[in-house]
Amino acid sequence: MRFDLSVLVPHLGFLASGAMLTAAVCGLALVGSVVLGMAVAIARTSSGGWARRAAYAYVDLFRNVPFIVQLFFFYYGLPEIGIYIDAFTTGVIALSIAGGAYASDAIRAGILAIDNGILEAAEVSGLSKRVTFTRIVLPIALRTSVRPLGSVLINMILTSSILSTITLNELTGQAKIVASDTFRPFEVYFVLLVVYAALTYLVSIGIALLHRRLNRDLMGQVS
Amino acid sequence: MRFTQFTPYDLVLLAQGLGVTVGLFLLTSLIGLLAGTVLGVVRYYRVPGLTQAVTFVTELLKNSPVLVQLFLVFFGFPAFFHLNVGPVQAAVITLSANTAAFVYVIAVSAIESIGRDQVEAARVFGLSRWQVLRHVIAPQAAAFSIGPLTALLVNQLQVTSLISVIGVMDLAKIGATLNLRTLKPFIVWSVVGLLYYLAAKLVAGVGARIEHRLRAHSAFRGL
Repeated sequence: MRFDLSVLVPHLGFLASGAMLTAAVCGLALVGSVVLGMAVAIARTSSGGWARRAAYAYVDLFRNVPFIVQLFFFYYGLPEIGIYIDAFTTGVIALSIAGGAYASDAIRAGILAIDNGILEAAEVSGLSKRVTFTRIVLPIALRTSVRPLGSVLINMILTSSILSTITLNELTGQAKIVASDTFRPFEVYFVLLVVYAALTYLVSIGIALLHRRLNRDLMGQVS
Repeated sequence: MRFTQFTPYDLVLLAQGLGVTVGLFLLTSLIGLLAGTVLGVVRYYRVPGLTQAVTFVTELLKNSPVLVQLFLVFFGFPAFFHLNVGPVQAAVITLSANTAAFVYVIAVSAIESIGRDQVEAARVFGLSRWQVLRHVIAPQAAAFSIGPLTALLVNQLQVTSLISVIGVMDLAKIGATLNLRTLKPFIVWSVVGLLYYLAAKLVAGVGARIEHRLRAHSAFRGL
């Protein structure tokens, strides 16, 4: 059989709509996982014993169980306890929770990397613990961990393809439909592979630029 | 007639699924480790043209979803090359290639972590390039790469769960089957998740032991 990409041309709009859905899911899940990751990172760096242990258990559990199992747990489990939500919301929730485990590690590393002198200076200046954390520790930790958070996002884009198994027709789901419409699975999935690779490549370039822009005053330390 | 209760036979099913998952994980990890190391050695010998090709293909494999790669092999190869690819074969091909791509990166950085002065000194003593690789680089590179390799294999164990989508009867697929029959998603997916978790912990534990042994000669013994 000849390698013929022109069969895909009529379906490009259809695939683009799937890509938009992938972008929407990943964008929402990124916000969710950074918020969750921040909370968990705070718990993991706190001095409270049980909060630290609970946060560690969460990270350990969600990093060592396959995403597809977590997804099915939420997708089939939530209606069981009377929560009826669509595949899109389930996908965003599952991705946020799984991504939060990875994001918390990135943010935690950012918090732990903060120079003790800064904290002591804040203490001497009479700032309360809460203000020190929200005004000094978090801004520094978040901007130094832009790059690791970027790899969390890239992983999330790749992982979001699994959402096609719970009937959410994002990029991979749409491609499945196109493949069975055109009977050209090789061309469809090959193009899909290249599109995902190009997409994540562009995202990684954007993240590198953002990282440099945010940390331009301390390039010597974090570059 | 419909059995909606759990039966003792379900434990046998779960054990079977776990066996398929672990078996395929071990097989594809072995192939991936060998192939990735060979590719790393190819780069070490600076074969013209081949290095660029290998880097391109591994980047493509690393930056695209495993699910899409699985679809490409399982649906695309039979249609395009007129091959007969079964689910298990597709799973072995895809997972091995994916593991190899990641192992390649680790192998390259492990080889490059050995200082040039050591290689030059060995060459001055009259060792051939192969002898340098075998006696100088390999032992140190193995100790260097065992940490990243363990992390990779823990991840690849979870990636194996995706092959359930193309119909391999692994642990995740058994979970889906039990879930459909009993309609008790919380119990089923918790048990399946726990089994994956324990398997991941086992892999991490074995990796830590090997690392401890390989690093024994260079570890700080105290004064």
